[in-house]
Amino acid sequence: MSETGALHTEGLTKHYGKVHALVDLDLDVRPGEVFGFLGPNGAGKTTTIRTVMDEIRPTAGHASILGMDCHRDSVEIRRHIGYLPSDLALYPNLTGRDTLTYFANLRGGVDWSYVAQLCERLDADLDKKVGDLSSGNRQKVGVVQAFMNHPQLVIMDEPSAGLDPLVQRELQAMMREKAAEGGAVFLSSHTLSEVQRVADRVGIIRAGELIALESVSSLRSKAMRRVELELASVADPVVVAAVPGVRDVVVENHRVVLSYSGRMSDLLRAAGEHYEVLDISTQEADLEEIFLRFYRDQEATV
Amino acid sequence: MLASVFARTLHERWRGVAVAVASLALMLLLAMAAYREIDLGVYDSLPDALRTLMGIPPGADLASLAFGVIFSSYGALAMGGMTISIGAAAIAGEEAAGTIGTLLGNPVSRAHVLLSKAASLVALVTLGTALLWGAGLLVPLILDVNTAGLQISAFSLHFALSALFYGFLALAVGAWTGSRGLASGVASGVMVVSFFAVGLLPFVPGWEDLARAFPWYYLGASEPLLNGVDWAHVAVLAGSAVALLGVALVGINRRDLRSRTVGVTLLDRLRANPTTRRLADRIGGSARVSRIWVKTASEHQVTIVIVAAAMFWMMGVAMGPLFNGMNVLARDLGDTIPESLLIFFGGGDLTTPEGWFQIETFGMMAPLAVILVTVAVGAKALAGEEERRTIALLLGNPVSRRRVVAEKALSLVVSGAIVGLSIFAGVAIGSWIGGLGMEVGNIAAASLLATLVGLVFGALALLLSAATGLVRVAIFVPVGASVAFHVMDSLARLNDAPWGRLSPFHYYLGADPLQKGLDWGSGALLAALAAALIAVAVPAFDRRDLRQTG
Repeated sequence: MSETGALHTEGLTKHYGKVHALVDLDLDVRPGEVFGFLGPNGAGKTTTIRTVMDEIRPTAGHASILGMDCHRDSVEIRRHIGYLPSDLALYPNLTGRDTLTYFANLRGGVDWSYVAQLCERLDADLDKKVGDLSSGNRQKVGVVQAFMNHPQLVIMDEPSAGLDPLVQRELQAMMREKAAEGGAVFLSSHTLSEVQRVADRVGIIRAGELIALESVSSLRSKAMRRVELELASVADPVVVAAVPGVRDVVVENHRVVLSYSGRMSDLLRAAGEHYEVLDISTQEADLEEIFLRFYRDQEATV
Repeated sequence: MLASVFARTLHERWRGVAVAVASLALMLLLAMAAYREIDLGVYDSLPDALRTLMGIPPGADLASLAFGVIFSSYGALAMGGMTISIGAAAIAGEEAAGTIGTLLGNPVSRAHVLLSKAASLVALVTLGTALLWGAGLLVPLILDVNTAGLQISAFSLHFALSALFYGFLALAVGAWTGSRGLASGVASGVMVVSFFAVGLLPFVPGWEDLARAFPWYYLGASEPLLNGVDWAHVAVLAGSAVALLGVALVGINRRDLRSRTVGVTLLDRLRANPTTRRLADRIGGSARVSRIWVKTASEHQVTIVIVAAAMFWMMGVAMGPLFNGMNVLARDLGDTIPESLLIFFGGGDLTTPEGWFQIETFGMMAPLAVILVTVAVGAKALAGEEERRTIALLLGNPVSRRRVVAEKALSLVVSGAIVGLSIFAGVAIGSWIGGLGMEVGNIAAASLLATLVGLVFGALALLLSAATGLVRVAIFVPVGASVAFHVMDSLARLNDAPWGRLSPFHYYLGADPLQKGLDWGSGALLAALAAALIAVAVPAFDRRDLRQTG
């Protein structure tokens, strides 16, 4: 089995009694990429991360990080990775500096000038007690500890929680730099704009199952478009929805809003057969809509 | 909303009350069963003061003796501890958790929240007392023990109001300061100090009346079990409770509420001061976080320091000179105090320094102190990090779960040893100041065994913490087990029963370490038991899925 990837899972499955939190998950995160792991709340993102971090043990399947077994070699693995758990909790009585010192002592060999550099980039305050920090400032301490040991792989679970947009952008830059220097980032998120901006490839998970695995550019090239038509008469949603490639039809009197993938001439011809088209405006769909489409398709088949 | 704050507190707490009452009922059953077997004639000749300390009314028959020992000492302390915990959590707890903002985001006034919390406290005390009252009627019935002349209802009224007093005291301190630790610390301090003051002051000629200044006095001094309700005493308790509630109402309306707060320790102040900063940084910063076990122990520094200091001064140093003051009285009592009664307090001869220290310090307080600290450290060791969700980051570092358990166990042993050493030092110094001439080696032996027996229950807490990830389970089970084993050991010694060997406490004072020195076998057995529990904790934690609590 090929285990040279940064993060690799095969048939990873986790059941909690009758609840199937994770079903047969195959992932392969490569060095030099930012991998976006997308899904709605409760889809199994955190379960996946907790499994590869050896916090919980899989019911079936296998996971490895940097070619090492996630359970057997978990201590050695953690020497080479950075981890930012979801819903970060720190020791409220310690200052940021105490917190980083604690983890540095457990790791050994942390470069403090690099830590200072990270803190400056994120504008993190290390002198206050963590319990007295706002959630965003607390999150910065978490981000610093995830990057401070020059990890080969950074695993982050909803890292942007509480961060203001400027700091979010800085964090995204840090992720890109990590990938550029040959490291890998596993980024779990439900904020699609973030993933769209930073990720190379995206895995979409729903109800514990991976439902799509594509590069961001190929997802975009699916070229969903948002189309808004202004008609001379009131439209019948059934007629509009019957056109191949059309979905998510919303009709407001003379105005029709829909998502469309296909050739625009086909749509215009079909619309022209039934209605007089007064005006048309289109824009490129973002990942959000593509994601919703995958999500809905799955829901429809369930 | 008023009703739901009330109902929620009730819902969160009634189980604890029920469990405590059930344990007390069981203890009453055991005590009555044991007392049936022994001659009780000698109790009539006991001096009033000693009976007050033990919570036993004069003319004690079987039933009132059992009631006295179980309900008015253990029971009243347990119920007081419960109300203090509820009272301290009422306002200050919501502030510490950061939930007070959401709560008061609803259209309810601070006064309403406080009053509904107070109402739930009253309801819980009523519930607990009613259940105890029921047990007080039922247990004698089961054992066919005569309770004629015992006014259980009157005692229950005193009992309930006394518990309420401490709860409202904690509530008031919490409402004024927003500090849960301060609230429970002050209220427990008042309760424990007044428990001992009321027990010991009557021994000191001329100071007898000072006992009236302490709230514990109004629980049992009037012997409500025999004499019925003393309305003046009841009025003192009820009046003080109402006054405290008023104080709490004023306090909560006056001050700025805290958001989720972090306590400010002495070390923090030293770190903030430029002149002491460098030194304080070294102690409080880099040293504190150098190892997992050091950090764990430092999280419990307040508990450890308070318990160790209290044991050192009050149960150690002060007891030496006190023995001389009591000596004459104690010698007179020598023949009249039945050993069977003293066994509950560790047994021993009050006329010798060794016997004195055994009853006052080692019998109950020394193991209790070690258990208090080690169970707190053990229970929070792993489950605490899981419940606070810091375990994810801790284990995000290259440390194995086995190492985490091992380091947590080390902090358990260290904190137990600190308490044990302070007991040893206190008693040794007390004996030296009082010129009592006790063997230092024997004091060391008893202190070591107290530490080891405490560590057994601390190790049990660590094991449960490792295996379940639930702090509550890891606290209540070892505490319950320690009380049950202590009672079991005492009862077995009363009856010379062989099953006493099943209790760890048998290996603590069973071989009389204060007189005869260390029994290596007992020490080894206790150490092995603690080590075995810790050894089981390692795989228990290693194999388990860690919890994710939100």
